[in-house]
Amino acid sequence: MIRRMTQIALAALLLPLAAAAAGVSIHATDGAFQVTGWKASVEPAAGWSSVFQVYAGAGDIPAMLGSYTVEGAVLTFRPRWPLTPGMHVRAVFHLSGEAPVEAVFDTPKSAPGAATRVEHVYPSTDVLPSNTLKLYIYFSAAMRRGEAWQHIRLLDDKGVRVQLPFLEIDQELWDPANTRLTVLFDPGRIKRGLLPLRESGPNIEEGKRYTLVIGHEWLDANGAPLAAEFAKPFRVVEAERTPVDPAQWRISPPLPGTADPLIVDFPRPLDYALLQRAISVDGVKGKVEVARDETQWRFTPEAPWKQADYRLTVNTTLEDLAGNRVGRAFDVDKFQEVTAQIQTETVSLPFRIGNQ
Amino acid sequence: MNIRNIFRFAAGLSGTAILALCASSNLQTGKADLKAAGALAFGPDNILFVGDTPAATIWALDVQDRASSKSGGSIEIKGVNEKIAALLGTAPDQILINDTAVNPVSKNIYMSVSRGRGPDATAVILRVDAAGKISEVPLDNIAHSSVKFVDPPAASTNGRQVETITAIAYIDGNVVVAGLSNEEFSSTLRSIPFPFTGAVKGAGIQIYHGSHGRFETAAPVRTFIPYEIDHQKAILAAYTCTPLVKIQVSQLTPGAKVEGTTIAELGAGNRPIDMLVYEKGGKHFILMANSSRGVMKLTAENLESYKPITAHTEVTGVPYETIAALKDVQRLKKYDDGTALLLQGTAGSMDLRTIALP
Repeated sequence: MIRRMTQIALAALLLPLAAAAAGVSIHATDGAFQVTGWKASVEPAAGWSSVFQVYAGAGDIPAMLGSYTVEGAVLTFRPRWPLTPGMHVRAVFHLSGEAPVEAVFDTPKSAPGAATRVEHVYPSTDVLPSNTLKLYIYFSAAMRRGEAWQHIRLLDDKGVRVQLPFLEIDQELWDPANTRLTVLFDPGRIKRGLLPLRESGPNIEEGKRYTLVIGHEWLDANGAPLAAEFAKPFRVVEAERTPVDPAQWRISPPLPGTADPLIVDFPRPLDYALLQRAISVDGVKGKVEVARDETQWRFTPEAPWKQADYRLTVNTTLEDLAGNRVGRAFDVDKFQEVTAQIQTETVSLPFRIGNQ
Repeated sequence: MNIRNIFRFAAGLSGTAILALCASSNLQTGKADLKAAGALAFGPDNILFVGDTPAATIWALDVQDRASSKSGGSIEIKGVNEKIAALLGTAPDQILINDTAVNPVSKNIYMSVSRGRGPDATAVILRVDAAGKISEVPLDNIAHSSVKFVDPPAASTNGRQVETITAIAYIDGNVVVAGLSNEEFSSTLRSIPFPFTGAVKGAGIQIYHGSHGRFETAAPVRTFIPYEIDHQKAILAAYTCTPLVKIQVSQLTPGAKVEGTTIAELGAGNRPIDMLVYEKGGKHFILMANSSRGVMKLTAENLESYKPITAHTEVTGVPYETIAALKDVQRLKKYDDGTALLLQGTAGSMDLRTIALP
């Protein structure tokens, strides 16, 4: 008897829903989906999602996450997040015992913006040591994550693709804006004495020519391909295995009373990104520029130079193209004195402006 | 040293320890404003640790998932990326599944997902239950704490410097974080005490790789797992330059310079993705998902006896076999004592499934 009463009660609840289903229609408005032509009364025991669901796509997929509200005679579903442009969406209203009411919607496609392009690849030079460790690819706009390794190719002088020269990290080493990707050559094929180097040889071989190719099919953050393929040809010279030595730098002090740049020239190119922050003039604010294929650091002060003694502070994290740091080679050969290490965090280089 | 007697994950803490940590986890309830959800790991008392690379932050989330289950049964979700995309109201090519983790108590599966693939992507944490139902873990009102492990870069650096979190694990009261810099070839492994206290960021540990007693290089850790040998806790770590090494947890002290003991070299083109340690038939094994060699099964017996490679003629230390049937494994986690969880497939279509440990 109790069971029978429960059944009757449920039927009574469902009755108004079913009775009004014939004139139902589904609308999309302001990113939400509304059921009208039917008077929503009591929420079904299994929730509003048991009668109204919105699907992003086709096939065996779950309904979209979102929230339901009832205002007046309208049942509204708001997706948890704004729908992605260009989506095909299917909304289904289905009362028990009634034929389902379905509506499909296409969200507007995003307007195409200016095509994104590769602005520059560092190192700028076309002569790289065979133990080159890092490349930076700068894009003109934000790129899409998760597909970098499909689009970065290294070709030998016959146009044959070099197998796995890069450390393919699935997290991809982007900057926060997704406009710069750091690409590491496979360190297992750089470090001496390791199996990958013995099995496969170095990533790039001394005396040979290569071309780095960045495919135009790589999609930017808006889903549009790059404006054009990018190619960087280069030739490979002997490995660089000695630490960066600031004692070999040439400092050219400007004249006092001017705001001309202080110029520091290096005997070999250094890491572009680290040059932006690893060298500073103590107590002086100014702007850093890197020039001449990363063999020159220029510092323009905000205020004119005084006739005084100054000091350049170099962070020992500064690397060259092969990951050799100030005072520490990339792979330290403990049998050779040339790679003796500096343990301090910074190195100071004094210079004088005026009264030379 | 013999590892036969005791060999288990650090996550397998006793109930007493869990209760004690629960009371002192310093969690606040409110919005956990994740910029991104990357590497995942479970800690004590159902705390899910989430690596947030753009915010240089490790989050500790209380996912309120304490119902104990010895085994979650069998999971098989074909096209899991398509299902997740549909759930999030977007297209499959607009999401990235960044990591997976299994709650060791409930056996529910957690996934960190990016909704969107540009710089404005939204961080989402999802839970998959034993029936295969996928639901969102709401972050708007959740008990949580966090630690920022590096200071934001100075304005002069143009804000491009990022330390990408590649793996995290909870070991003995510390969250150990492996990170790769996008500028320096640094080798930062951090050990951050948990419960987090705002001021303690955890100092970096310099990890080096020694080759043939001659060459010494900085050696970033790509992925690692904790395990225990005769009451001595260690991590098994894969360097970016491919050697598989062992490091004692007692060595992971702030400011330390540590050289891992090489137990295997994996050869060219290998990109270790995930590892797990398990016991079968009274023996211990390491299962490792690898980019180019598929899934490798290595013996974990007497790791100590496989000395570092000392001559160029030697190929590897620990013997291994390749599990040919397991292809395109993107993530590999321990599900329960006899089962592994795989995220398997290519970018187009991925499946989430459990398999018996080989």
